[in-house]
Amino acid sequence: MKFLGIIVVVITGALLVYTTGDFPSWSDPASPASTHVSPHYIEKGMHETAAPNIVTAVLADYRGFDTLFETTVVFCAGVVCFFLLRIPGRSPFTECQYRHKATGITVRVKHDRKMSGSFGEFERIDTLWTPHDLIIQTACRILIPFIQLFALYVIAHGHHSPGGGFQGGVILGASIILLAISHDLRTALDRLGEKAHAILCSVGVLVYAGTGAVCMVLGFNFLDYGALARILHVDPVMARSHGILVVEVGVGLAVMAALIWIYSNVSSRGNYDEGL
Amino acid sequence: MPAENAVLIIVIPLISAFLVPLIGRWKRHFSYFCTIGALATVSLISTSTLLKTIKEGNIGYHMGGWAPPFGIELAIDPLNAMMLVLVSVISLLVAVYSYRSVDQELSDRMVYFYTLYLLQVTGFAGILITGDLFNLYVFLEIASLSGYALIAVGENGAPLACFRYIIMGTIGASFYLLGVGYIYMVTGSLNMADVHQLLPALYDSKVIAAALAFILTGLGIKMALFPLHIWLPDAYTKAPSASSALIAPLMTKISLYVMIRVLFYVFDISILENLFPISRMMVWAGFAAICGGAIMAMAQTDFKRMLCYILVAEVGYIVGGLGLANAVAFKGAILHMVNDAMMTAGLFTVAGIIMYKIRHRDLSDFKGLFQTMPLTMCAFVACALSIIGIPPTCGFFSKWYLIQGGILAMQWPFVGALIASSLINVFLFFRIMEMGYSFRPSHKRPMAINTTETGINEAPMSMVIPTLGIAASVILMGLYNQVIVNRIIAFAVPMG
Repeated sequence: MKFLGIIVVVITGALLVYTTGDFPSWSDPASPASTHVSPHYIEKGMHETAAPNIVTAVLADYRGFDTLFETTVVFCAGVVCFFLLRIPGRSPFTECQYRHKATGITVRVKHDRKMSGSFGEFERIDTLWTPHDLIIQTACRILIPFIQLFALYVIAHGHHSPGGGFQGGVILGASIILLAISHDLRTALDRLGEKAHAILCSVGVLVYAGTGAVCMVLGFNFLDYGALARILHVDPVMARSHGILVVEVGVGLAVMAALIWIYSNVSSRGNYDEGL
Repeated sequence: MPAENAVLIIVIPLISAFLVPLIGRWKRHFSYFCTIGALATVSLISTSTLLKTIKEGNIGYHMGGWAPPFGIELAIDPLNAMMLVLVSVISLLVAVYSYRSVDQELSDRMVYFYTLYLLQVTGFAGILITGDLFNLYVFLEIASLSGYALIAVGENGAPLACFRYIIMGTIGASFYLLGVGYIYMVTGSLNMADVHQLLPALYDSKVIAAALAFILTGLGIKMALFPLHIWLPDAYTKAPSASSALIAPLMTKISLYVMIRVLFYVFDISILENLFPISRMMVWAGFAAICGGAIMAMAQTDFKRMLCYILVAEVGYIVGGLGLANAVAFKGAILHMVNDAMMTAGLFTVAGIIMYKIRHRDLSDFKGLFQTMPLTMCAFVACALSIIGIPPTCGFFSKWYLIQGGILAMQWPFVGALIASSLINVFLFFRIMEMGYSFRPSHKRPMAINTTETGINEAPMSMVIPTLGIAASVILMGLYNQVIVNRIIAFAVPMG
């Protein structure tokens, strides 16, 4: 069976190599892909959308409908992870470990609902990863705000320079995940809880879809940001640029929340207690 | 404003999918009513869109105000308007039906079940409505992703079955994407109508042949065309009842629709004759699927699994019918696509009801069911007769067209397979009916406790009424088949 598979793969590969003969040559400026629609984007993109970054203009405006659904795919992935992995109810661990902050003595406590968080002079630690990691924790604590600041820049500046909602959202999500890795999952969840994941993720995509719907309510086509000119009091071309920013913010929110959501579910096997 | 309405078919389920988790936080069962409301509105809008397209012709909607090929276009003609009505009505009926079943099988995850349900419907509607090849892929991704989740929460073994489906399905989707990439490389466009204009000059290019091969193989996996069907029986058997009632009838039909769209509206009918013998290959693939599906169906003792193999055979009918490439067979294939979605939806809802009441779905569990659940079995008989192809149910008429088309094209093995598989279906379903009528239930059932004197112990009305609705439409679609064929499908036939 394996042998048969190899034969099929080799034949398919050979046929594919054979078809490359009819490919347009590499980086040929006269190839159909660079002569049919691309010139329009390159020449008129700036005049029509006021977004200097052509990639963002195509992504969020000309083909904004695709991007709306790509964001929906990210939302869907978050929901799917939660839907399949989340185990509702209490933690399955029968005992937890606590460390006395001053002396470093570790005590094991049989599971008790009251003692599920950190309290007083004791802090809760994971059973699988117990050492102090003071250097990592401090370094990350200093780094995380700057990472988040940079993420906000990437989101907000997406239509002027490389960047945008997806990239910025990933960086934002990564900053929270870094917090979860350097401290523990519960610290990250204290900052941004499970409810917030779900709500931010829905709201993020809703901002995008809602922008489209607002354009429709104003009598334009779905996602025609030119309609926002009336609300924002700018000319329609500039309104497109602002519209791109609004949807990028929505994308950023959704991507950030979805990433953290997926991380929390996967790393803690769905019980939101002890994770990496 | 017909064009305005068209976009709502996607926007309403999409926005409700995001609202459902927010509302569900407040009151859990509101998510159900929100889903029903959204889908009912979508059904109304798609029906009015269908009437508009019949009266006033095709509708084009430019997303974001950008004219194609620069922006994305929604293109609606009678064919996809009809499919939209079909998808929205079936998803509405299954949504009404799903409440009790979801409450029993997945009560703690109901809110997110309905979120994914709505995303699934959005994906289906998007695939049907879009006029852009890449946009179609994005919708395919949404439909698949939410479908995987809805399947994976099923009974024991569902995650593994679903994992196999994910691997196969992702390969299929990637093949489709690769094909679209090839088309973009040589045409520079993604808009279906635009590509259709540009392609004829390029038909002798090897790239186009490779693109078509990729797309057809990818869709073949998605529609479970024999022998690429191996993921289907496990995945759909082990899925929760409500999920399989939504996904099993529709996903395969939607992939078939994409195949029709690509073969006849992006490419051209002439490519079937000139490029390489695609049409011949399709007929033989259909032949293999009918034989394989029917024979495997006979070997099953699990009712749902048997339905899955029947589904594989039905895909063969349609692919073969398209491959015959004459007007009669084409009409038959499209009519069968619609009919089959309806009748398999009916059978899967019946399977869900039996699962709900008896917690088993072996064929032997049908013993005595005509006495205890007369309404459910009534629906079952209507759908079963339609699968077999007995007038006046709709299955008869589409099979009639297909057989006529096969005779016109002189494809005798295909005609033979059609007739043989109908006979196998007779065997499959009459066996169940006989058990339902003439035997007493053999083993203990939980429902035996509260049986009344008459012995009637019907499932909840919220499950039975949608199922009867589907069964009634199976008969109505049969009675009004001429209307469907002449007013809608006739416009879609590309070969004179």
